[in-house]
Amino acid sequence: MALGKSAAVVIGSFPLGESDRVVTFFSRQHGKVRGVARAARRIKSKFGGALELLTLGELIFFDTGRSDLVRVDHFDVLRPFDRVREDLERLGQAAWMAECVGRLTAERDPNVAVYGLLLRGLKSLEAGVPPQRVAVVFGVRLVDALGHRLRVDACVGCGRRDAFGGAPLTMDVEAGGLVCAACASAVPGLLRLQSGSVAALRRLRGQAWDEAVGTQLGGAEGELRQLLDRQVALLIGQPTRTSRFVREMERFSGERG
Amino acid sequence: MAHYPEPVARLIEALQRLPGIGPKTAQRLTFFLLKRPAEEVRELSEALVAVKDRIVYCQTCFNVTDEDPCRICRDPGRDARLICVVEEPNDLLAMERTGEFRGRYHVLLGALSPLDGIGPEDLKVRELLARLDAGAGTAEVILATNPNVEGEATALYLAKLLRPLGVKVTRIARGLPVGGDLEYADQVTLSKALEGRREIS
Repeated sequence: MALGKSAAVVIGSFPLGESDRVVTFFSRQHGKVRGVARAARRIKSKFGGALELLTLGELIFFDTGRSDLVRVDHFDVLRPFDRVREDLERLGQAAWMAECVGRLTAERDPNVAVYGLLLRGLKSLEAGVPPQRVAVVFGVRLVDALGHRLRVDACVGCGRRDAFGGAPLTMDVEAGGLVCAACASAVPGLLRLQSGSVAALRRLRGQAWDEAVGTQLGGAEGELRQLLDRQVALLIGQPTRTSRFVREMERFSGERG
Repeated sequence: MAHYPEPVARLIEALQRLPGIGPKTAQRLTFFLLKRPAEEVRELSEALVAVKDRIVYCQTCFNVTDEDPCRICRDPGRDARLICVVEEPNDLLAMERTGEFRGRYHVLLGALSPLDGIGPEDLKVRELLARLDAGAGTAEVILATNPNVEGEATALYLAKLLRPLGVKVTRIARGLPVGGDLEYADQVTLSKALEGRREIS
């Protein structure tokens, strides 16, 4: 039986049996780890509120080697990120970030860049940076870190670099980047992007995190979010479950002013 | 399951669909039932059918009931101006066990859950608004959803939705369990307990 220890963020959980919980962590040392936390749903559980979504803690687990699930022994809170959970828009975008990490990474595949990215995203949300901007900056970096960067310097259909004369531009997410008007005409339902959105995408890739989340994106923010939703949906084979919640909460907040 | 007789395989498959029951437990339950007297098994199957046939949701509070409206909604001795909002019928039963609450309930039949894609449209929120709009003179809505991410999100959403209606909205307290030791409390629970402290009179 191997003992594992690492800082980790709770990225999901579901109830198991009478009072247990299966918790998914994204850890610094081990990547995505799923484990059973015994009696975690009881009021007097030793885990208390530590296993709530988005909590950063020090995880100690036993790996029996007989199952994909480890046994969660301890999870001591390092930073609860409770302010993120106290606002519906922030919670929605943070849950989207957690879902993306959970569904785009394999188990026991450490990726310190993704772990750092998730932490930076949560810290920015807690600091009060507009939630959708954080999600866009996070999403652009996440797909890059996982090797799914979309090509924006040349047409992915014909390879021409001078093919993007007029706006708006056309993105073929399935083909992996921008396509020129001639190549786009052969494929229905492609995403149209303003040239400003593509410029913003290029800029975000080169900026430091703090600079990126500190820069207003204007109309590009919504378009890039739409692009990320489409790309993630393609990669996982279905739309993310959190997207609907995010849309509903944005609409609700809009109605309330 | 090809090596099981068809009725046995069918029962194992049916039991496996229940929450918390995996293939091994389903097999164990099936063979347990096979060993029990036929009368006992018939009683169980009749109880299952009766639950489905006779139990409905109360169209006022959405508690499970065999008569609509339910016993609590019909009770004239209960204060109709107090509505306690809970996630599930089991939570209502837990509240009733305290014997402290003499108002009425509203069961949402779930909680907001971003990771499961559950939004307000999937809950009995519209029905709660309709109840408040119906002019029953509601004085207070107590939000008694679970103290976890889903329950807190639901409470937050309902508070924002209900406050503009001019109704008093309260949230049940969060913090340390009775009989617990402070030194074993995690920092989240402890900070919530501190936040919700109150003066001793």
